[in-house]
Amino acid sequence: MATAAGFDFRRWRLVLLGGLLVGIVLFAAIFAPWVAPYSPFDLDVAKMLQGPSAAHWLGTDELGRDVLSRAIYAARISMQVALLAVTVGLVGGTLIGMTAAYFGGLVEQALMRAMDLLFSFPAILLAVVLMASLGTSVLNAMIAIGIVFIPGFSRLARASTQAVLRQQYIEAARSIGMSDIRIIFREILPNITAPLMVEAAVAFAYAVLLESALSFLGLGAQPPDPSWGNMLSTGRGFMAQAPWLSIVPGMAMFICVLGFNLLGDGLRDVTDPHMRE
Amino acid sequence: MIRLVLTRLAGFVLTLFAASVVLFVTINVLPGSAAKSALGIHATAQAIQRFEAQHGLDRPLLVQYAEWLGRILQGDFGTSFQNGVAVGPELLKRLPVTLELATFAFIIANLIAIPLGAWAARRHQKGADRSITFLATILGAIPNFWLATLLVLVFTLTLRWLPPGGFTPFTVNPMMNLKQMIMPALSLGVVSSALLIRIMRASMLEVLSTDYVRTAEAKGASSRTIVFRHSMRNAFIPYLNVAAVEFGFLFGSVVVIEDIFLLPGVGSFVLVGIINRDYPVLLAGALAITLFVLTLNLVVDLIASLLDPRQVKARNA
Repeated sequence: MATAAGFDFRRWRLVLLGGLLVGIVLFAAIFAPWVAPYSPFDLDVAKMLQGPSAAHWLGTDELGRDVLSRAIYAARISMQVALLAVTVGLVGGTLIGMTAAYFGGLVEQALMRAMDLLFSFPAILLAVVLMASLGTSVLNAMIAIGIVFIPGFSRLARASTQAVLRQQYIEAARSIGMSDIRIIFREILPNITAPLMVEAAVAFAYAVLLESALSFLGLGAQPPDPSWGNMLSTGRGFMAQAPWLSIVPGMAMFICVLGFNLLGDGLRDVTDPHMRE
Repeated sequence: MIRLVLTRLAGFVLTLFAASVVLFVTINVLPGSAAKSALGIHATAQAIQRFEAQHGLDRPLLVQYAEWLGRILQGDFGTSFQNGVAVGPELLKRLPVTLELATFAFIIANLIAIPLGAWAARRHQKGADRSITFLATILGAIPNFWLATLLVLVFTLTLRWLPPGGFTPFTVNPMMNLKQMIMPALSLGVVSSALLIRIMRASMLEVLSTDYVRTAEAKGASSRTIVFRHSMRNAFIPYLNVAAVEFGFLFGSVVVIEDIFLLPGVGSFVLVGIINRDYPVLLAGALAITLFVLTLNLVVDLIASLLDPRQVKARNA
């Protein structure tokens, strides 16, 4: 279904839709002070637990704070945690995966068995245990979630590196005496970024979910800082009187995760040669 | 065959051992906090020292680990720092709750995923396929703890059909047990089905494009015969592997869901251990979940090897 300009809308539709949803969340996160109608911390007990109105589009919470403003500011925390966690997982996993594939033998065995071991823990359990050890804070949530991602990225980086190593230009690089470090970073890394970026989009969605789950359990962002997880957790206590307190943060998480998942799926389709047919 | 089983078993034991080291070191890496948590923030330095000496927390980590492992191997999981209750029996009491929840959720996930995935593959690139794939994307984006909250909002607070939480053993009151378990299981199962739908669809698509299925079609076999007799069995091998990982994931995700529905399972045990910095509780809970996941992977690995036609051929040769 190519248009006159040659742009294949059908091929890119998932990327566009996912990009739009992610764009909305990112815009809210970056421009929160300008987008949010109120401060997320402004208390007004006279207005507590009010339903959606012209003044407060998504109602107010148990302390009279504007729910929309808190949901917008919560996007900041989610995006910060997800960005840093995915970076930790991506950098750590890529370095381990490339090193394992490039050097092979014992190095590969040791590194990949260690990754298998980390992979054997259920993700949320590993994150929760790491948080117990590191202590509850947003920064520690980033580190814990990042560690959870390392094995997944390392397996992908290893498999992609193995494919690249079979190419002739690597042999050529070796034959002209290029150093290992140079080959890894100059020749291999640029050629394995596409699959890693697709994985990163999916990991971003998962990071948002994990951060929310940790905050929901009281292990991530601490009140009064707004996070979708702790908003939902507090909202559950007022479900009968103020259901919007449970619906709004969940909806925000859903839109964000859906956006990143669609983006990941779309990028996979676009970069996968089989899908181009 | 025996060699295969032995190799896998050796790998299992090694991984379990390494996992216990990782858990022990991670949980014990911050010294002192357990004592503060058990004795309160106003505890004196002497009281903390006494507590640590009493529980052996002042000795080198390696010694502590060796002793802990020795006790675990004899079935002794220690006692809770908080209330002095033996951890092992408490864990055994909680295990069936979590097992029931995870199994129930897994059944729901498969009941959704297998027919939908197979149907999508059969209707490849048609309306039904696109709708099912879209549904899987939507389901995969719903946080399970949000779905749990929405279910409570609808079925407990609005319709008043189901209790908000709690646990009654199946043997005591089966109907009550099901009423209390259905919402937690749905929250986990529906979200888990998203991945399984995709895997089932992909596995079936691969099988449906093979020569032997095309031959069956050419011979005039009915759609039912093609799907059930020729495709499902082979599509199940890759599906089973992912489903097992998903079951393990479900077992790990119970931490959040058990907290919401006040289920006295291993997940809420782990959470109590974390909040109170109760190391024996946390370690035992986390180790139990890890042991379960590893055992599951081992069993599935062995079943997949048994089902794999290439291995069957090798055995018969």
